Amino acid sequence: MDERESRRTPVFFMSIIIFMLIMSLAALLLAIEAYLVQGKLEIINIILSASALFLAAYMFIQIRKRSISLGFETLKVSTVIRCLKCDYKNVREFEKGDYILRDAGPCPKCDGTLIIHSIFRESKEKD
Amino acid sequence: MKSVVDMQVTLQVSTDWLFQLIWILAFIFIWVYGQRIQTILTLKEIEGSLSRLKNMRDRGRQIVISAIKEIGKPAEDPTPRVDRLLEHVDIEPVSLDPTGIIRRLEHIIDVRDFRLKEEVRQMAPQADEAQINNLTNVLEAALALNHVYKIVRHYYLMGKKTLSFYVILQIQMLLPLIMRESEAFANALKAFTLGQPIGDGAGALVAARLMHGNKKRLIAQDTILSETQIEGRKAYVIKAKGPGGNVGKPGEAIKQILEEEEGKVALIIMIDAAQKLEGEKTGEVAEGVGAAIGGPGVDKYKVEEVATKYKVPLSAIIIKESIEDVVSTMRKEIVDGVEEAINRIKRIICEGTKEGDTVIIAGIGNTIGIAQ
Ligand SMILES: [Zn+2]
Repeated sequence: MDERESRRTPVFFMSIIIFMLIMSLAALLLAIEAYLVQGKLEIINIILSASALFLAAYMFIQIRKRSISLGFETLKVSTVIRCLKCDYKNVREFEKGDYILRDAGPCPKCDGTLIIHSIFRESKEKD
Repeated sequence: MKSVVDMQVTLQVSTDWLFQLIWILAFIFIWVYGQRIQTILTLKEIEGSLSRLKNMRDRGRQIVISAIKEIGKPAEDPTPRVDRLLEHVDIEPVSLDPTGIIRRLEHIIDVRDFRLKEEVRQMAPQADEAQINNLTNVLEAALALNHVYKIVRHYYLMGKKTLSFYVILQIQMLLPLIMRESEAFANALKAFTLGQPIGDGAGALVAARLMHGNKKRLIAQDTILSETQIEGRKAYVIKAKGPGGNVGKPGEAIKQILEEEEGKVALIIMIDAAQKLEGEKTGEVAEGVGAAIGGPGVDKYKVEEVATKYKVPLSAIIIKESIEDVVSTMRKEIVDGVEEAINRIKRIICEGTKEGDTVIIAGIGNTIGIAQ
């Protein structure tokens, strides 16, 4: 399957949908005209044409609907650095080469050593 | 005046008749061709997913190649080699005669892992051990994407050829799940290339927290053992060797410790990430019994076998996460779940063992981005 084929618009379906749209619109107009001219309300005709209209619109949306997301979202990943001795804590953005329990130099508050305590992403999605 | 009304009536009657005919024809059309229309619509839907899968696969391949070029600094272009590896197939052992199938399966898995790592090592001569493990993981994710794409394409083309509703139905039913899993793998590629910890590493992180600062030794291939004290009990903590992407051989490690201790172990606790059910919270911790370990079943078999031999109770702690979270960068909720799991371990040890007992704690999972 090549790229051109996958982007091809479904001509057959589009024509059916457009045909349905025109027919139902015409039927709807006729029904309205009948009501205006003769004062006769053709409920069935109106319901049928309206539902055909909705169906056509629905199918149209279905065909148009192409998800753009490709599963390659850029995620914000944080690195939490903590001191082994005191309660010093620092959160910064993830940098290449970070891993959990890596030494991150001396503590600026005491003489302890800093380690990378955790690395995580914060997710927007709800469970 | 009268003739105009007459004409209108005749017009009304004739259009009524026309519309009735059109509706009847439309009805017959849908009645006869309904399933075919549905089939074509379904094919369109699959086609959309298929082009997304193709996109993911191509991106995956690209990421593998650029990661190898960037990290490994190869002398020659790795592209043909990567293309060959993406077509790699594993042949399962015969199950007609199931005796010893686990041993045979283990052998095949070992050979496969060794081969993939060896290929990566040759492609990326400048990479260190951890980077080779990470690159192997990237390659595996790209391989998975390639296989999924090909299977979906197979069913799509079969369906297109036969226009059989039932061929198409098979793939359409599974497609939402397949897409979720593929998207998870696509996101995993990124985490693997950067060496970030993933959701599957929850168990490994628990073990890493427990063994941090203690003496460690290698007990099995890519598997680290550390001896520590928890609540007055001697605890053997096991995890895969990080921070490269590894799952190690926890089954083999548990077996070895039990043999060394001649079965004098009061409790084995295994911690693993497990797939949550829809509606459950990510990072939720649950307890149970049994060997908490996924994968092809080799390690699970080993643990069950040796625990049964020495009649050692098996305790399980699972940290729940969705299929997307398993291979993508660890979520905050899972990190919180890890802390909760550590508290649970302490409680289980206090309740289930006496002071001076020996326990084994095994943190299961891919330890990428997690040292010890
Ligand atoms: Zn400090």
